[in-house]
Amino acid sequence: MRKILLLAMAMALFFPLNAMAAYPEKPITIIVPSKAGGSTDTSARLFIKAAKKYWPKAEFVVKDVSGSGGLKGFEEIARAKPDGYTIGMVFTTQIVAHIVSKRAHYALDSFHIIGNAMQDPLIVAVPEKSPIKNLDDLIKTAKAKSMTAAVNGIGSDDFVAAKKFEQQTGVKFNLLPTKGSTEQKAMILGGHIDASFMNLSQLQAQHKAGKARIIAILADKRSEILPDVKTAAEQGYPVSMTATRGFVAPAGISKDIAAKLDDLLQKVNKDPGFIADTDKGVLFRLPMTGPEYLAYLKKLQAETQKFYDQNPW
Amino acid sequence: MILQALHALFTPVSLFAVFIGTTSGVIVGGMPGLTATMAVALLIPVTFALEPLTGLLLMGGVYCGAMYGGSIPAILLRTPGTPAAVATAIEGYPMTQQGKGGLALKVSVVASFTGGTFSTLILLMIAPALATFALTFGPPEYFLLALLGLAGIVSMADDENRLIKALISGFIGLVLAVVGTDPISGMLRYTMGVTDLFDGIAFMPALIGMFSLSQMLELTGTKQVVDEAAIETTKKFKREPLPKGISKPIWLGSLIGTVIGILPGEGATIAAFVSYNVARRRSKNPQLFGKGSPEGIAAAEAGNNGCVGGSLVPTLTLGIPGNSVAAALLGGLLIHGLVPGPELFTTYGVMTYAFILSLFIANVIFLLLGLFMAPYFARISMTPTNMLIPVVCLFSVLGAYAMNNSITDVFISLLFGLAAIILQKTGFSLGALILGLILGPIAETGFAQALIIGHGSYSIFFTRPQALALWVIIILLLITPMIQIYRQSKQEQKEQTNG
Repeated sequence: MRKILLLAMAMALFFPLNAMAAYPEKPITIIVPSKAGGSTDTSARLFIKAAKKYWPKAEFVVKDVSGSGGLKGFEEIARAKPDGYTIGMVFTTQIVAHIVSKRAHYALDSFHIIGNAMQDPLIVAVPEKSPIKNLDDLIKTAKAKSMTAAVNGIGSDDFVAAKKFEQQTGVKFNLLPTKGSTEQKAMILGGHIDASFMNLSQLQAQHKAGKARIIAILADKRSEILPDVKTAAEQGYPVSMTATRGFVAPAGISKDIAAKLDDLLQKVNKDPGFIADTDKGVLFRLPMTGPEYLAYLKKLQAETQKFYDQNPW
Repeated sequence: MILQALHALFTPVSLFAVFIGTTSGVIVGGMPGLTATMAVALLIPVTFALEPLTGLLLMGGVYCGAMYGGSIPAILLRTPGTPAAVATAIEGYPMTQQGKGGLALKVSVVASFTGGTFSTLILLMIAPALATFALTFGPPEYFLLALLGLAGIVSMADDENRLIKALISGFIGLVLAVVGTDPISGMLRYTMGVTDLFDGIAFMPALIGMFSLSQMLELTGTKQVVDEAAIETTKKFKREPLPKGISKPIWLGSLIGTVIGILPGEGATIAAFVSYNVARRRSKNPQLFGKGSPEGIAAAEAGNNGCVGGSLVPTLTLGIPGNSVAAALLGGLLIHGLVPGPELFTTYGVMTYAFILSLFIANVIFLLLGLFMAPYFARISMTPTNMLIPVVCLFSVLGAYAMNNSITDVFISLLFGLAAIILQKTGFSLGALILGLILGPIAETGFAQALIIGHGSYSIFFTRPQALALWVIIILLLITPMIQIYRQSKQEQKEQTNG
C-alpha cells in the first residue's frame, strides 16, 4: 500500500514537472498588433533574438496583425488559446483607450501581463524657424493666441499627453489629429503647425539634423541620445507621458508557464546583447515586471477614462 | 564616394541581390493582391540575416520590379496587380482584346523604364532641394491634390450621358469611403460593430473584387480573352515597332510621377491617373483613349514608376516616407541603424549611393525581362478560360485575405465583384468608383485639417501659392472636356432638329 502511495506521489510530482520541462515543445506565436517594420515589430524580433539564448530549443514566430489602432491584434491575443503557445505585445495608450471608448472586446483582465520591455517617451516639438525655445515660451504664446498642435489621432498617446499638458498648465491648444507620425513630421518640418506632441524616436534624427526643435521631453530624466533636451519637470511643468511596449499572454494560462514566460522577459530585459541591439535601433528600454506593468496600465486607464468622460470620442 | 559606391555595388553578391529582388518584384507585382508594400515588409526579417547593403538592394529591387509588374495582368487580364495600374488596365485590356497585347506590354515596359530611370536620376542629383519643395505642401494642398486626382473622373467619359454616370460612380466611391473611423473626431461611422471596418473599406480587396473577380465572371461566357479574329495577330507578334507618338506621354508621365511621388502620401495612384489625364488632354488622338490607346498606357506607367525615385526623396533626406512601400523600406533602414537625414549622404554615403545606383540596374533588369518575355506573357491572354478563371480567382481571394489577414476582406472583395458587374453592364465607370474610394479619405482629411490649421477660415485654400497653382491645374483639366462635351451635345441637338 505504502509503495503504491509512494509511486502515486512520485508520479504526481514527476508528471507535472515533465510537462513543464517540455514547454515549449512547439513554436510560440507572438502577435504584434502593428505593421511589419514598425517599432513594435522590431521590438518583438529583438526580443526573440535574445530569448533564444535562454531557451535555445524554443521557436518563435511573429504574426503581425495590424489595423484599427492595434485593436485587431489585442483582440486576437485575448481570444487565443491560453496554452502558452500564443503570446503577444501590447502598447499604450491604445490598449486602454479601446477599453475606455467601449470598442474593445476585452478588458485588462483578459490578459496575463508578462511585463514591459520598451518605451518611447513623448516630446513637445516646434518647427525649426519657430521663435519658441522652451516650455515657458510655448505657454506664453499659447495664452496669447490659438496655437495649432498636432497629435496622432484621438485617444492615442500623443493625445493623452497633450490633454495632460493642457490640464497641468491651463493652456488650450487647437488640436490637430493626424494619420500618424509621418504626417506630423512633414507638418513640423514644413512649418504648417505651431507645435506637435509625438514620440522621441519619431523626431530625434530631425532634431539632431537641426530641421526641427524638441523643446521638452515628457519623462522623469533626460534621454541619453539627446542630452541637451530638458525634461518638462526641469522646466517647472511635471508632465510625464510615455508609450510603453510590453508582453502579455491570454488570461488563464497555467501558473507554471506564466512563471516561465515572466522569467524569460526579465532575463531578456537584462541581457547585454539585447541592450546593445536596442541602443543601435534607437529603441528605449523600460523594464517592468508583470505586477508593475499591470499597476501602470490600471493607472493609465483611469487617467484616460477621465479625458474620455470630459470629451468622449 | 560615388566610385566607392559603384565598387560596393559591382560585386557578385550585390548584383545577384538586385537581380533576385527585381525579378521577384515583377512576380509579386504581377499577382493580383500581392503588393509591393507587402513584399518589402516580408523582406525586412530576411534582411536581418544579411549585410545591410544586400538587404537594401533586395528591397529596392522588389520596389522597382513590383511597380512595373502590376501592369502585366492589368493589360492582359484587366486585373491590375496594384491600384496604380488601374489606368493601365483601362487602356491595355482593349489592346489585348484586339490582339495587340504584346505591343501594349512593350509600351508599358519602355514607359516604366523611362519613368523609373528619370526619377532615380532626379533622386541622385537634386534630392535635398526637392525635399524642401515637398515640405511646402500642407493639408490644403493635399486636399487639392486629391481633387486633382478626382478630376480624372471627368476624363473617363466622352459624352454627357457617360459623364453623368461617371460622376455618379465617383460619388458612390466617395460615399463608401465614409465608412470607418472619422479622421478628426475619432468617431466610428457605419462600421456596424465590425472591427475590420474601423479602418474603412480596404481598397485593395475592393479593387481585386471590382477588377479581377468581376472580370473572371465576365469571361465565363467566352473561350479566351482575345477576340476570335485577333488570335492570329497575337500569335504573329514578334518585332513590331513601338507605336509613334508615345514619347511625349512618356516624358510627361515621368515628370508628373516624379513630382507627385516626392509628396508624402498616396503617391503612385494619383500620379498614374493625373499623368493619364494630362496625356489624354494633350493627345492628338483623344478618341482612342478608353478603347486601347498606347499613349494612355505610356503616360500611366511612366507616372507610377516615376513615383519610385520620387518617393525615396523625402524618405532618405528627411525620414518622411513618400508612400507605404517607402515606409516599409524606412523600417528596414532603421533596423540596420541607418537613420535618414543628412548623415545618410555623408557618413553612410557609400551605402546610400550604392542603393540609389542599384535602382538604375533594377530598371534595366525589368526592361530586359519585359522586352524579352513580352511575347510569352502575351500568350497568357490566349489561355483557355476554363483554366484561367479558377487560377485567377484563387489568387484573387488569397490576395484579398492576405492584405490584412481578414476574412471580412474576402467578403468585401466578393461583394464588390458582384456590384461591379451590375455597374459595368449599366455603363457606370469602375475607374471612377475606385478613384473616389481611394482619394475620398485623402480629400476629407486634408479638408478638415486645413480648416483646423486655418482656424475655421476657408481662405487657407486660396491664399497659399501652391494651392493657387493647383487650382489653376484643376480648372484647366476640367474646362477642356467640359467644352468638348457641351459642343458635342449641341451638335447632336442640331442634328436632331434638322433631321
